[in-house]
Amino acid sequence: MKFIYTIILLSILTACSKDLDIAVDQPYTPASLDLGAGSWKTFILASADEIPLVVPRLITDASYLNEIDSLKKNVIPKVTNIQKEAIQYWGAGAVLRWNEIGRELAARYNQAPAANAAGIYPVPNAADPLADPRYPFANPPYTARALAYLSIAQYDALVSAWKYKLQYKRKAPYVVDATIKPLLPVSDLPAYPSEDAVVAQASFTILLAMFPGEGPFLTQKLNEAKNIRLWAGMNVGSDIRAGADLGGAVAAKVMVRAKSDGMSASNNQAIVPDLIAHAKSLGFITPWVSQEIPMRPPMLPNYGQVKPINMDRAALISIRPGIPYLEGSVEFKKDLAELEAINKNQTRAQAATANYWADGPGSYTPPGHWHRYACKSGLEAKYSEVRMARMLAYVGSALMDAGIACWETKYFYFSPRPQQFNLKTSVGLPNFPSYTSGHSTFSFAAATVLGSFFPEKLSLFNSYAQEASDSRVFGMIHFRVDCTMGAKHGKEIGTFAVKRSQVDGAQ
Amino acid sequence: MKNIFILLCFVLFTGQLAFAQMPHDAIYMNKKLACGAFVYGNSSWTHYWENRLYRDNPNIGQLSTESMTAMIAYGITKKLNVIAMVPFVRTNASQGNLMGQKGFQDASIWLKAKGYSSHGLTLHGVLGVVSPISDYVPDFMPMSIGIGSKSFVARGMLSYDLAKNVYMNSSIAYQMRSHVTADRDAYLSGDRMYQTSQVAVPDAFDAAVRVGYLKKDNQLELFAEHFSCVGGDHIRRNDMPFMTNDMTMTSLGMYGKYQPKKIGINARAAYVVSGENVGQSLSLSIGLLYQFKL
Repeated sequence: MKFIYTIILLSILTACSKDLDIAVDQPYTPASLDLGAGSWKTFILASADEIPLVVPRLITDASYLNEIDSLKKNVIPKVTNIQKEAIQYWGAGAVLRWNEIGRELAARYNQAPAANAAGIYPVPNAADPLADPRYPFANPPYTARALAYLSIAQYDALVSAWKYKLQYKRKAPYVVDATIKPLLPVSDLPAYPSEDAVVAQASFTILLAMFPGEGPFLTQKLNEAKNIRLWAGMNVGSDIRAGADLGGAVAAKVMVRAKSDGMSASNNQAIVPDLIAHAKSLGFITPWVSQEIPMRPPMLPNYGQVKPINMDRAALISIRPGIPYLEGSVEFKKDLAELEAINKNQTRAQAATANYWADGPGSYTPPGHWHRYACKSGLEAKYSEVRMARMLAYVGSALMDAGIACWETKYFYFSPRPQQFNLKTSVGLPNFPSYTSGHSTFSFAAATVLGSFFPEKLSLFNSYAQEASDSRVFGMIHFRVDCTMGAKHGKEIGTFAVKRSQVDGAQ
Repeated sequence: MKNIFILLCFVLFTGQLAFAQMPHDAIYMNKKLACGAFVYGNSSWTHYWENRLYRDNPNIGQLSTESMTAMIAYGITKKLNVIAMVPFVRTNASQGNLMGQKGFQDASIWLKAKGYSSHGLTLHGVLGVVSPISDYVPDFMPMSIGIGSKSFVARGMLSYDLAKNVYMNSSIAYQMRSHVTADRDAYLSGDRMYQTSQVAVPDAFDAAVRVGYLKKDNQLELFAEHFSCVGGDHIRRNDMPFMTNDMTMTSLGMYGKYQPKKIGINARAAYVVSGENVGQSLSLSIGLLYQFKL
């Protein structure tokens, strides 16, 4: 009896706590202010001062002193506890938080449309984004691209901001007036324009373009991200307005690039018959066919034509992986046998790896997973905002290029999935051709870039990438060759980003 | 969703598998008398509620969950019984390519005590602990065999002898459910992204009304049951279910037991008539019972 009562008591104790143990990132002082970042090479902007910025008023100017006065009298004394929580939240980093918001939106929109009563899968409509099916379907290529432009816009805007900061050297309110007690870690970084406002407006502009149904949500985040800088005594209103103008203008330039990168033609289903004919001409006996009921058109068959960031089309074609093992070959049979053995007796460890890396519907996808790792590493290294954005721009652009190059490969070969050979899956089957594995390509591209930023963690990142790659075999949705060749391809794609980063002036 | 769910609900939390003495009935073993049972259950659905949307899914077809449960009830005293059960569960989808799962699911142990009694009305209290006994995958719903949560269940029950051999029994229970460690390290709950592998499974209520005929050890019963989570999110459009879902369901069913001597059999059928975030399951079970002195 005692035993039973003990069990019951223990159970009550363990079952009672409903709070989740979630790590909370805290504000920090960056390891370096990167005061020379204004001369780093940008991705889209021709130069750091391509977007002109209004010359700030001097700190002796009456209008500036009014701003300080208003901050002291009307803003800081009225800061509530909820606002203090918001200060702590955003204080961990504007780039970090907007990256998280981007990932959360990706997860919320990562759902394939449901078939309608006629058995047709409606295409999401950008003009009516909240209707069913919602726009966008934030699948891995979509998310990789959205997060890439987000990071690039943040980076270019921050390089520009750093240039103006060092040009105008306007001090922060708490430096100008020592009675202002800032609520976030202080530094010698000039305050005009506000880097938080730069990042907020740039991120808002990109994310609203990528998730057009999220205006109210994003506006609330935008306002909060800007306001906390006033609440915390870190900026005056004119710092914020200048930052928002600059960030918005840079992001608009990035969106010009995004709108002309070929994405709008990426779901062109008219090319599919030719792709199948091409696969047959290469010797594929069983080209890919949708395994869903009713059959779903393949995801983004023309995404491979999107313009990459860190390479040109010729380079992209030149690194396309060679033809995989054809059905009936000894090597194909060996790969199939590996999957059949897992299908028969999947270990719990294999299932765990497959699930951990699945990043399927309702998730931020593998590109989101790697952005998360990137953010974590940047935080641990106490990166400044501009260095964080730079690292994410390279990781993000490599992930976007990985999506493009992988999709180009997938539809070039149009190769079958293991499920066309009677295998089940423990993770769910994506609706596009098998070779090469997107997870492998994304992961090794990201690991290669991250390894160049954090050389001490290279082997760790590569081991994660290998797990992500293996996970697709363990989940039985990829042949081994899909993964090994995808991994190799991903490393090559990542190297393009690494090489670019080595000559941008930030080393 | 669905199947698991049915299992959670029926097999475990409310201990609803057909048996001689169950955590939700007003029947007690005499002191030092034990009853062991093996119960085979089959629960299946083709339609489910995605949030409130009633739909089928051709990529699942019919989802069926089979279970084999070993149970024992024992009379510590005439008014205090202990009941334990261990189920082995197997899932299968008739269409599509999702892999079925199998394994030992959640063992449970229950204490049932008879309390105050007057004018044919009797109060009962039941306490139970439910815990997974294998490392099954909880976040591959609806194929997962269980939800992975440990739970503590407290039930209050009122039984009433209506007439000769006819009884009525109503009960309500609260199920405290622990966090689950998922294989993944991030998930959405509602619109929020949680960057952790810890998943908060909502607590739940269940309530039931039963009317039956009981003579010696033979029994026939009709029942209505309701299960509802305390909070939780909804299955997103065209998404899979998840452990955080606010599952609700109402089912109707019947139960019978025939035990002329030491050996007996029982059978149970239940059908979900309405729900949210669950499958519309038809659950059937049949059990072999054996009474003995301990």
